Amino acid sequence: MAQLLVNGLALGAAYALVALGFVLIVNATGAVNFAQGDLVVAGGFLAVAAAPLVPVPALVLVPAVAALMAVIGLVLSLVAYLPLSRRPPVAVFISTIAAGLILENGVLVLFGPAPRSAPPLIGGGVVELGGLVVARQSLAIIGVAVALIAGQQLLFHRTQLGRWLRATAQDAEIARACGIPVVSMVLLTFALAAAYAGTAGLLLANQFFITPSDGGDLMLRAYIAVTIGGWGSVGGAVAGAVLIAVFETVVAARLGHPVATGLLYGVVLVILAVRPRGLFGEAAGRRA
Amino acid sequence: MRQSVRSAGVRRFAAVCLASAVVLVSAAPAAAASAPVYVPVLVPLTGFLSLEGTSQRNGAMLALGLAPTEAGVHAEVFDTGTSPEGAVTALERVIGRDDVVAIAASMLGTQMLAMRPLAEAYRVPLITVSGTASVTGPDTRYVFRFFPADPVAKRAHARYVVETRGFRRPALITQTTAYGQSGRAHLLEAFRSLGAEVVADEVIDPTVRDMLPVLTRVAAGGPDVLVLHLHAGSTALVIRQARAIGRTWPIVAGSAMHQPSTAALLAPEELAGVCAETASSPISEDRPGMAAFVAEYRARFDSEPDAFALGQYDGMNMVLDAILGGARTAEAVRAALAEGTHRGLAMTYRSDGTGNMAHTVAIICYDGTSRRPRVVARAGDPVAPPDPTGPAEPVAPTEAAERTDVADAPPGR
Repeated sequence: MAQLLVNGLALGAAYALVALGFVLIVNATGAVNFAQGDLVVAGGFLAVAAAPLVPVPALVLVPAVAALMAVIGLVLSLVAYLPLSRRPPVAVFISTIAAGLILENGVLVLFGPAPRSAPPLIGGGVVELGGLVVARQSLAIIGVAVALIAGQQLLFHRTQLGRWLRATAQDAEIARACGIPVVSMVLLTFALAAAYAGTAGLLLANQFFITPSDGGDLMLRAYIAVTIGGWGSVGGAVAGAVLIAVFETVVAARLGHPVATGLLYGVVLVILAVRPRGLFGEAAGRRA
Repeated sequence: MRQSVRSAGVRRFAAVCLASAVVLVSAAPAAAASAPVYVPVLVPLTGFLSLEGTSQRNGAMLALGLAPTEAGVHAEVFDTGTSPEGAVTALERVIGRDDVVAIAASMLGTQMLAMRPLAEAYRVPLITVSGTASVTGPDTRYVFRFFPADPVAKRAHARYVVETRGFRRPALITQTTAYGQSGRAHLLEAFRSLGAEVVADEVIDPTVRDMLPVLTRVAAGGPDVLVLHLHAGSTALVIRQARAIGRTWPIVAGSAMHQPSTAALLAPEELAGVCAETASSPISEDRPGMAAFVAEYRARFDSEPDAFALGQYDGMNMVLDAILGGARTAEAVRAALAEGTHRGLAMTYRSDGTGNMAHTVAIICYDGTSRRPRVVARAGDPVAPPDPTGPAEPVAPTEAAERTDVADAPPGR
């Protein structure tokens, strides 16, 4: 059971990074970024491409992949969000879906359709912890994800830049009136979200492989995580992601995958009925 | 002057008419013999089955690309995605054309089931490598399958597990897709008839990433072998994660495991003790014809061929044989496929009366030192005796060259 829990936490940690990027963009722009899953895939394939060129553990590749993905995030915001930011929300939904499809097919053309595997973060194999055999990669995933989530919290709560980002997320008009460069904050948010998504791709691509068509499924998980945790809540998104992973591991081990999946979505329905704003949600406005 | 101009014009007109008539008469038989025919290729190039779909496309296009010009074949590729609607839409775009004589069609069972009624209505043969049993049947006249159907493949799969290897407590993991459930039904029936006790019967979605839960449930049953019938990614994930937690069960997987791209995801040592059923394994055989096919495939597509590519290649070559033999309509091609025999590179194909053309199943095993599997047995042939030290010896090149059920001409005509 403990082994399952560690696996669940590792999977949940990677999902949490996806959901975190997702909720950052929701907060900053009010828009749902449907390309988030494909950004994860792009990050995974960046790691796959970099591995033969730079034969080092993937942990060393994390900053490079995050930086490249931040650039992709900036391009995404310039192409798919900013030109449409004053249009109805559905325009942004469609534009991010289009951007995601472009990313997916770009990866397909560049890398082919086969599943691929990125190098492990710090090496393969298992370690024994108090009689518990745990994959080294699982522990590394948890460690990297916790560090990145902690970094986000520090950035948002302990720096002036973070205060500007939060102010933009809370009310862009007031933030602009206060002299905060709102457009720059939105661009930075997209860059951060893409960096988190790409890093999640790198983390997932070794133990769980990555294929060009994985984006839709990862996007759905991020959406459900945010729905469970509550729209607008960073902590809620992380909690929602971990809950999904626990269902996929611990509950699935007890009851089988089909039953666990059914139960998970049953829980989602109950949460929506009892707490429409999610477990930790803020009052939500007009969102999909 | 005017008269002479007029008479010159009349003469010129008469000469043109005469010349045209001569051209028409002389061209008529040639046009009838070489009127171009159309063979569209409708396969899933995007979505979860894009790997297999790409193999299908490559196999079809390799065969069609090597066709002699006198065949007069025009080929075109369409992506069906993975939805039945996508497949039907692609089919509707091409099936009404007068010059279509055959269609290379998706290997995805749900798409084939959606396309089949249209093919029957328009009377155009579909050439596929789908394994899903219900794709063909007694009422099917226009679907031709160049890959062993589940009743054949899964029976051989189970027989290898029980009769050849002597396992009695298999644990079964299958996929939730139509492919997975068709195979599951036939495996369960085969194990039951062989007297083996299935100690675990797990079903997983292709999106499941962490296999520890399913492996935990399987372990509780105390199996002596793990039997998989999964798509490529799930197959590799199960094997990797089983080995990572120290489970050394022998594994006999479905055809996805024979794909070189699946083996590429795993270290050779993770593949130790892993076998799989398949129609063929092109990279495992050194016969001259097969070696030439593999070399040509690598040169054109910069990837390794698998059984899906070879099955589609053989299927399109049977269509081309029919066309070159004078079948210039869909009905004529159908008749040639339904009644003829084709010595392909993988096996000899002949319809069983319902469009199932492939009746030979190969068992391959990895020895833990490389990602190149060895063919250890073929269903229909005497199944290899159990080898307690590991997989049987590879099929020797000379022995393989002597196979009498296969063609051995290099690609091209």
